[in-house]
Amino acid sequence: MSELTEQAPAEPAPASGPTGDLVVDYLLARRPELGVIDPDYDLIDNRVLDSLGFVNFLYVLEEQTGREIALDQVSPEDFRTLRRIRARFFDADQD
Amino acid sequence: MTDTLTSLDNAPKATPSASASAHAYLAALPDILGGDERFKAILDRLTAMSERDYYDPYKLFVWPESLPQDAWWMSPELMSVHGTEVGATLDEAQLRALSKWESVNFYSLNVHGIRELLTSIVARIHMPGFEVASEYFHHIIGEENDHMWFFARFCLLYAGKVYPDRSLAFAGPGIPEADTFLLFARLLIFEELVDVFNQRMGDDDRLAPTIRHINSVHHQDESRHIAFGRQIVALLHRDLRTRLSAEQLAELETYLKAYMRSSVESLCNPSAFRDAGIPEPFAVRRAVLADPAFDAYAARILKRSTSHMVSEGIFTHDPNKNDTNERTPSS
Repeated sequence: MSELTEQAPAEPAPASGPTGDLVVDYLLARRPELGVIDPDYDLIDNRVLDSLGFVNFLYVLEEQTGREIALDQVSPEDFRTLRRIRARFFDADQD
Repeated sequence: MTDTLTSLDNAPKATPSASASAHAYLAALPDILGGDERFKAILDRLTAMSERDYYDPYKLFVWPESLPQDAWWMSPELMSVHGTEVGATLDEAQLRALSKWESVNFYSLNVHGIRELLTSIVARIHMPGFEVASEYFHHIIGEENDHMWFFARFCLLYAGKVYPDRSLAFAGPGIPEADTFLLFARLLIFEELVDVFNQRMGDDDRLAPTIRHINSVHHQDESRHIAFGRQIVALLHRDLRTRLSAEQLAELETYLKAYMRSSVESLCNPSAFRDAGIPEPFAVRRAVLADPAFDAYAARILKRSTSHMVSEGIFTHDPNKNDTNERTPSS
């Protein structure tokens, strides 16, 4: 789907959802037709994440990690898959 | 303006046919912009007005050491919580405190938005296709640099910080011929949105003179930039109507409407709630955005911009009215 055609649904609340993973639940609320999201599914190429919806996703991450994420220290690649998101923002040894 | 107002990127993944279309479009740009006599005349007039109204921003403003902390820093009806259930739970002291931090967020968005604007204009000035606009681009660059300076100075002097840019641009499939149009359309939306605030706050007696002054000066300058933006966006879209399918034009409309909405949402920043001492800032932001009063707020702020897009045929439909006009190919 083109970036230009995709319209995000109303902003979902990151309350505990069906998967028990708040980040996954947020993304599935945006794209419920996916059903499940593989850890290596490309969230950017498949337009699950896009520029217009990014800041809301950022706030979900910040709320869940309890830390502000400085964007000069990350790149779009850090958000490409669930595996990378977990490694970058949730693993114990990440900076 | 960022957070979302600036960060958007229509960077295409170029296929051979898309590249060919993009090259053909760039080759046609001198005729699209340079071939319109009315556009040239408007640019000449705007250039003359910029020269006539030139001022030294470094000497123009009075910067008191501090501003009253318990006063309104932003017109309350322009605050994101206005009319919402969240807003109703806050007492006036809390609202006034929030008005300070929402105003700092607003000026911070301006700072980041102007950075993108300057980057975009500098990338095009004296480049093929933009010859007709280069003279006026010099004025825009100078004036926008001044604006960025006084907005940043306000934030640093009275809040000790500029809120960081929270946007990230993702490349993706797009419509290469529309890149230039989308750039100027986003900038125009940014300027029109900001101007709604500047116009109101520049004339609001509840606000400190310094606040009123920076808003009124910005409003004066932006009226010229908006006039330019409206012309170039309309011109570029008229040309796109001869190049793109109805489906592609509809995609542009959908995208710009989503951009408008995300731009208004960027005015509601959890950091402002946190700095104002309001607990659970992320949950508060979600509650504000989900409140029907926020939809009304967005419609009010975007009203002028949306009406212009409809009147120029860029939007076939004003979401706040029942005036759908079916788009036909090359209409």
